[in-house]
Amino acid sequence: MNKVLIIVPAYNEEEAISNTLYSLLHLKNEHPSLDICVINDGSKDQTSKIVKRFKDVILIDLPYNLGIGGAVQTGYQYAYRHNYDIAIQFDADGQHDANSLQRLIHPLQKDEADMVVGSRFLKKTDYKGAFSRRVGIYYFTLLLRSLAGQTFTDPTSGYRAINHKVIKIFANTYPKDYPEPEVLIHLSRKGLRIQEITVNMTNRQGGHSSITPFKSIYYMFKVTLSIVIQRIVKE
Amino acid sequence: MKIAIISLIIVIGIFIFVIESVRRGILETKYSIIWILTCLGIGILSANSSLINKIADVLNVYYAPSILFLFGMLFLIIVVFDLTRRISKMNQQLVTLTQEYAILKQKYEEKGQHQQ
Repeated sequence: MNKVLIIVPAYNEEEAISNTLYSLLHLKNEHPSLDICVINDGSKDQTSKIVKRFKDVILIDLPYNLGIGGAVQTGYQYAYRHNYDIAIQFDADGQHDANSLQRLIHPLQKDEADMVVGSRFLKKTDYKGAFSRRVGIYYFTLLLRSLAGQTFTDPTSGYRAINHKVIKIFANTYPKDYPEPEVLIHLSRKGLRIQEITVNMTNRQGGHSSITPFKSIYYMFKVTLSIVIQRIVKE
Repeated sequence: MKIAIISLIIVIGIFIFVIESVRRGILETKYSIIWILTCLGIGILSANSSLINKIADVLNVYYAPSILFLFGMLFLIIVVFDLTRRISKMNQQLVTLTQEYAILKQKYEEKGQHQQ
């Protein structure tokens, strides 16, 4: 198996992070070439302390909160410097299912894709999200379909795996806030192959979502603008 | 044209303040250029009422000194936009620096653990 790095960005996740790490370490027992790297994004709670107890987990402490984009990018930079073949973004809050990980990296190992996104909507899964959230996600699907010409059923999914080529790109440039949908058009414009596979996601196992109603309006607006701008910039 | 005189006094005041800031090293020389140019521009306009009247005539402005406000505001918009651009750039540099710092710190602490 190739060298794989699992990047777990964490901001105030003291309630859920232990269980997430246990499930990932369980996987590492079977595949020793797997490394787990937690990016503590300036948490104000015990997240860093809790992660320090896990000796087999790499912990990178950011001195203040960079936001999800900056935090994940730190992980990609670490992956790039340590020559990982594959990097996986994995949420700390327990929404992502560690058992899907093998299937997620499979297309990368066979060189069928440069990025694989775990989707909740490709086939019917157990996912139960709020109606408003589903509408928002579907809006991005339509926007990306018209601008990138590819259908992404779950463009906001943070469960994704990338190969070395994309690690290099992300280590250099990665959007700062709400990066997920924006990245898709960025890569598709570069002619890289993006594939979706079905994964199960549960609702978060503790802690709080970072997206409030007011932020979600800003989210829609900011991401729309970035996607449209990505479409018109010259490569 | 009282406003023109007040404007001239203020502009001269700002000009002295800008030059003094550069001299003391508080303001970088390259950032002072835009301020010096504007001070000169507004200063010339303020001191020269016939020039203002001519411009007002050409632009169909009834109250000539309002030209001063127009130029003053345009200048402010340029400076503010320039500042937001600089802030974006500095923010990017800061993020890169923070990431670099965090990765190096992790490496440093990892080494420390091995030596124990």
